[in-house]
Amino acid sequence: MKNYLKLLNFEVNRFFKLYLTLIGLIIVSQFIGAVVVSKGYMNDVDQVMYKKQLSMSQYTEDYGLFSFDQFVGSEWFLLPIFFSIAVLMIYVFFIWYRDWFGKNTFIYRLLMLPTERITIYFSKLTTIMLLVLGLVALQIVLISIEIQIVNSIIPTDLQSHFLFYDFYSLRMWGWLYPNTFTEFILIYGVGLIFVAVLFTAILIERSYGLKGIFIAIVYGMLSFGVFIAPLLVNRLLNGYFYTLEVFLMELVISIIVLVSAIWIANYLLKYKIRV
Amino acid sequence: MIEVKNVEKKYGRKRVLNSLSFTAEKGEITCLIGINGVGKTTIMKAIMALTPINSGEILIDGEKIRKESYEKVTFIPDTITMLPQMKICDAFAFMADFYKNWNPQRAEELLQFFKLDPTERIANLSKGNMAKVNMILGLALDVDYLLMDEPFSGIDIFSREQIAEVFTSHLIEDRGVIITTHEISDIEHLIDRAVLIDNGKVLKEFSVEEVREKDGKSVVDVMREVYGR
Amino acid sequence: MIFWELSSLTVKFNNRDPVYIQVIRHFKEQIAKGYFEPGQEIPSRRELANQLKINPNTAQRAYKEMEEQGLIFTEGNMPSCITKDEAVLKSVREELIIEAVDLFLGSIKSIDVPLSEVLELVKKKHDAESGEAEESK
Repeated sequence: MKNYLKLLNFEVNRFFKLYLTLIGLIIVSQFIGAVVVSKGYMNDVDQVMYKKQLSMSQYTEDYGLFSFDQFVGSEWFLLPIFFSIAVLMIYVFFIWYRDWFGKNTFIYRLLMLPTERITIYFSKLTTIMLLVLGLVALQIVLISIEIQIVNSIIPTDLQSHFLFYDFYSLRMWGWLYPNTFTEFILIYGVGLIFVAVLFTAILIERSYGLKGIFIAIVYGMLSFGVFIAPLLVNRLLNGYFYTLEVFLMELVISIIVLVSAIWIANYLLKYKIRV
Repeated sequence: MIEVKNVEKKYGRKRVLNSLSFTAEKGEITCLIGINGVGKTTIMKAIMALTPINSGEILIDGEKIRKESYEKVTFIPDTITMLPQMKICDAFAFMADFYKNWNPQRAEELLQFFKLDPTERIANLSKGNMAKVNMILGLALDVDYLLMDEPFSGIDIFSREQIAEVFTSHLIEDRGVIITTHEISDIEHLIDRAVLIDNGKVLKEFSVEEVREKDGKSVVDVMREVYGR
Repeated sequence: MIFWELSSLTVKFNNRDPVYIQVIRHFKEQIAKGYFEPGQEIPSRRELANQLKINPNTAQRAYKEMEEQGLIFTEGNMPSCITKDEAVLKSVREELIIEAVDLFLGSIKSIDVPLSEVLELVKKKHDAESGEAEESK
């Protein structure tokens, strides 16, 4: 357990500089965006009001209100998020491959530590989860600040009432910011399983070389197939099962997929891995 | 003692290790000798479970390798086992953090002996100095067995002399050492046993002083006989 | 610990004779030449190995042999010393002198020259060299 925490600390530290850069990027881009979008909107409003000699309430009757969505849908807001997602996706692979390649043969040291080798796997897995959750938490904090920024530029009379969880009503955000705790576990649980399977696939490649890539792909597809099996079967049987039953089947299947990923990874790390 | 028993390993179609067997005792320096690609590095990695074997057995003090074994045996490969951006002191801190058997005083002593600056980053070190740091990472562990892969290769002669000094000092005493090298004539007088390997097989395993006494032959002489070159 | 010159620069080991025998030989030479005094303390096995750049097991073996041959002795936990036994020291000197003589005779055997002439040359050379040594003092 102690070694797990030490390794976790080590892995997080390795990425920390890049992580801070990402955070910096997100903050800068979104704050600037909040200002730019708000000011831009106010400019338009002022121009139209001047040209057509409208009062504010007349303006809102004709042109509607400012919705926070206008900011949230802008590139200022979205680009840094997509960029971060891309970086993290790459890091899912890089977190392993970086220890093998370049001038770096740190994998020797990792594999020679007096600890169960699966600890390496768990620490890297946890690192990814923490990095993702960290950014998710950051975004929640940033949103509340960004609301303040917008409010300081656009009078509330011009804004449609922004409920915090309207933010979630955007389909995409429903995935990252689920409303209930159960949904949260569900979605991030699936994310965890996804990363775990990917990690195991990487270890398959590292253990078997070229033919390992094929085996890894087959493994990945198998895991995915098994995972969606209950949903598929239910669909094929025209909704034969109750939702709760499908849910329970999925839960069991998910646990099976996760456990097999970990079991295979453990086996590979102990007996098949090569430096 | 480290026992390697009938180890087989195939890499693709090539038989890299062909029923390879030898023993290395604690308190002795055993040298694996052979040309490049003959399996010396592979068998060392196999002992450390850094590469799998197809069949055969490797025992360290009668046991198969487990996680605790890494406090008993360590490997010094010909590449650095720390992150290049780490400073030397960071690397030492890492070792101290994970290994109970890390001896910080000995690490300090070796640092001074090799005249290295602990605040230097590993990536900025010369090849010779990097090899020395690698050595320290192994020697400062209170392990029973040290495996060193080509400790002298690609290093200037003065660094080599420094490293050779280590072999005759208290740092090696009572430990079992397995080394591989090309520079055998330089270190003949340092080793206890020689294991001649060719094509993944042990051709001859012998005590160096015994052969000198009985046959008046040096290791190089025996090599010429055995390899027919 | 008395410092004495015994670095690997002055002792060259060949790789065909057992190293421990070469170490013993070196000790005998130093004794015969008087560089090692009777009763003089010698380095520990470990120190010797380090100074001569040899395997510590070899140093160990050499000491064991020398102990058995009576060339060195160890009292309890004290460091080992050169023997004070005159008989042993004498025999060591003799052994080396005989070796040198054998070597000498072996080399001149093939040259056809009477012994008396050879001995004359030896005496001449010897006197000349000790004369030079006297002058340079």
